[in-house]
Amino acid sequence: MDKDLTIDILSSVQKPARYTGGEFGSIVKPAAETEVTIALAFPDVYEVGMSYLGFKILYHLLNKEQGVAAERVYAPWVDMEAKMRERGIPLRTLETDKALSECDFVGFTLQYELSYTNILNMLDLGGVPLMSADRGEDDPFVIVGGPCVYNPEPLADFFDFAIIGEGEEIMVELMDCYKAWKKAGKPGGRQGFLQEAVKLPGIYVPSFYAAEYNEDFTVAAVRPLADNVPATVQKRVVKDLNTVDFPTAPIVPFGEIVHDRIMLEVFRGCSRGCRFCHAGMVYRPVRERKPEVLKELARKLVDNTGYNEISLVSLSTADYSCLAPLIHDLIREFKEDKVSVSLPSLRIDSFSVDIAKEVQAVRKSGLTFAPEAGSQKMRDIINKGVTEDDLMNAVGAAFASGWSSVKLYFMIGLPGETDEDVLAIADLAKKVQYKYYEVAGKRGAKVTVSASSFVPKPYTAFQWFGQNDLETLRRKQFLLKDALKVKNITFQYHDAKTGIIEAVFARGDRRLGKALLLAWQKGARFDGWSDCFSFERWQEAMAEAGLDIDFYAARERGMEEVFPWEHIQPAVDRRFLRREWEKARAQQLTHDCRRGSCTGCGVCQKLGVDIIDWGRGEA
Amino acid sequence: MKLRMQITKEKDIRFISHLEYIRTIERSIRRARIPAAYSEGFNPHMKFSLASALGVGVVSYTEFVEIELSEPMEVQAAAAALSKALPRGIKVLAADAVDTHHAALMAQAAGASYRVTVPYTGEVAAAVEAFNAAEQLLFKKAAPKRKEKFKEIDVKFYISQLASHRQDGEVIFTFDCKITPGGSMKAVDLLNALNEHYALQLPVEKADIERLSLYRLDKKGQKCSMLTADAVHM
Repeated sequence: MDKDLTIDILSSVQKPARYTGGEFGSIVKPAAETEVTIALAFPDVYEVGMSYLGFKILYHLLNKEQGVAAERVYAPWVDMEAKMRERGIPLRTLETDKALSECDFVGFTLQYELSYTNILNMLDLGGVPLMSADRGEDDPFVIVGGPCVYNPEPLADFFDFAIIGEGEEIMVELMDCYKAWKKAGKPGGRQGFLQEAVKLPGIYVPSFYAAEYNEDFTVAAVRPLADNVPATVQKRVVKDLNTVDFPTAPIVPFGEIVHDRIMLEVFRGCSRGCRFCHAGMVYRPVRERKPEVLKELARKLVDNTGYNEISLVSLSTADYSCLAPLIHDLIREFKEDKVSVSLPSLRIDSFSVDIAKEVQAVRKSGLTFAPEAGSQKMRDIINKGVTEDDLMNAVGAAFASGWSSVKLYFMIGLPGETDEDVLAIADLAKKVQYKYYEVAGKRGAKVTVSASSFVPKPYTAFQWFGQNDLETLRRKQFLLKDALKVKNITFQYHDAKTGIIEAVFARGDRRLGKALLLAWQKGARFDGWSDCFSFERWQEAMAEAGLDIDFYAARERGMEEVFPWEHIQPAVDRRFLRREWEKARAQQLTHDCRRGSCTGCGVCQKLGVDIIDWGRGEA
Repeated sequence: MKLRMQITKEKDIRFISHLEYIRTIERSIRRARIPAAYSEGFNPHMKFSLASALGVGVVSYTEFVEIELSEPMEVQAAAAALSKALPRGIKVLAADAVDTHHAALMAQAAGASYRVTVPYTGEVAAAVEAFNAAEQLLFKKAAPKRKEKFKEIDVKFYISQLASHRQDGEVIFTFDCKITPGGSMKAVDLLNALNEHYALQLPVEKADIERLSLYRLDKKGQKCSMLTADAVHM
């Protein structure tokens, strides 16, 4: 435990156990056995960061390596930050109390654009120079990875290099590379190591590239500065998940975290092709784990953690080819252990409701469906592939099985959306209520409608789309709120302002680094938490940096425009995305390639990988 | 059959809350594969309990967990299994087994001994003497969940005698605090009461509070161990 965090400090902050570590399963390597220390840094509070599966995987995998100590660090909440700054206490890892400045690597995961100011804040608290150009020989390498790494450009000034794609293999290669460099006496210093690291496929060193801009402010090119630097960095992908290690003894925290249960990853990738979905593009292709492998992992996880719930996680678990038999087997296997099985999301069909019936037993806690849009036109535009009948059948099945409350997720501000389309959300919610009356013969179904504001993301069919401006989004929220003033319908939505800053950074370029720094200097942190977010602060920072919010968020991008992120490659073909964008405008659907023909996104061919789906009879 | 174990909450994890401590014990019991009994119904609960609640930040060397078993298990083996399944900051010190219908430990606890260390260079001997001689010492303790924000208690009812000694710029208080079916008082409130009545300036927020033991009283009113005489010590 960090000796500087004295009794009076820890007794004055909320949830002090966030800062003291010592959890079951945490790994403290003795200094004598440590050649490399990497801090896995999550730019949000402990409860959020501890729920992130990616770091559970890397923590386990890296600590298995001889000489490597993977440790954890989270963003201190504002109360603790104030104490640390007041007393000059640096941000340290939970395992061995190393200040971030004393680590060899500080690796941040980029989960969400609004956590970027926390990265700056954590580096500052950890005693690490913010700008990569200012770091000296004794400073750690600041590295980034995770879903937002497919456009890391707004952070290009701050990190030394990025890991593009899945980390299981590359992270171990990177540690080996570092150990060898260190053993050789660190030839060439920091630059020398970067020159070595860039030889590994999947490593992106932003300082090895220069961005050029057009007169209209758009990007002309991002070019490598030397011949030995790849023009584009392609993502790393694990060919077969059955062959890589999955953590079977994860840390079990003392307190309640956001996902406080066993997370068993059944497959990676999703090929449904929803046009708004970033994860559905960048994690391709679909690769399932074998049911036998999953059952074995589940047994170990239950024995090692003591958790009483297994969540079968993936981007769309109902699509797992062997889901029904897997769930039967797991329920039977763990009945004696009082372990239940759960799914993070449901597909809109009666199969999913049947599964839900089984996993939830008699706990009627309410079911959640995501039609995403209210009208058929909009669902076709986003390629959701779901009809109103599908939804009515699913909720009908749920009501017939005894559920009386459902939650429906929607987005507003999608391309091609009119006020009628927004109001269709309200109509749909009311039809769901009426369905309950039809099925149950009485009134009173509780329907919760949650509508988030759409944020266009890079490497999706909607990457060209100009986001609805603040006034438009607010008007649509108001329309919907008005239309949903109905008994037993609850309407939830967020302030649209956060979505606008998210959109700026999602599709931003290197010039945004200046605004990010200014916003942080003005006090921005925990921007994803509405009580900490200030739109005015961001407006000021953008203006001072000479940047225009609308240019990044609201501007529809030219069909031929070069995007700031195209040198980072998840291997989804631009022509495919463009075709999808055109089909969206024509309200045409594209089928799922998982069990059908190839739809031409280019990922399998470019990466030399295949879809692995056990229902398809193919490996 | 009911297993009872004396466990600790050590310095490194002193800041986990009572609820977090309970959850941790429950998961450790599951990891240890101790055959705990569960309640009936759709949402079965493990039948186990802790002998007393400990405040956040308080270290303890004598917490007690009682686990109702669905099938018998040897005490030594259960204690060894739980030891392995606990996080670093919790250790098993002793264990015994009693009949399922044996009175709960929580009901038997009569008092707890504490050691409280505070950085303080001022004089405390006179205050301790006056405290020990006092018949009564009324103190308004914070009661945030009640309508009236304070509840007046007689500190002397809970703590009759207090000892202190000085060491390296710190004052160390030791005392026993009574536990009744109606509750007990927090060690930290003793310091607050001393500050209030005897004009001391003990830095309460820096107090290092350790619960040294939890005990019951025998028929003669003598302190005795919570566990039975044939308890296994680890």
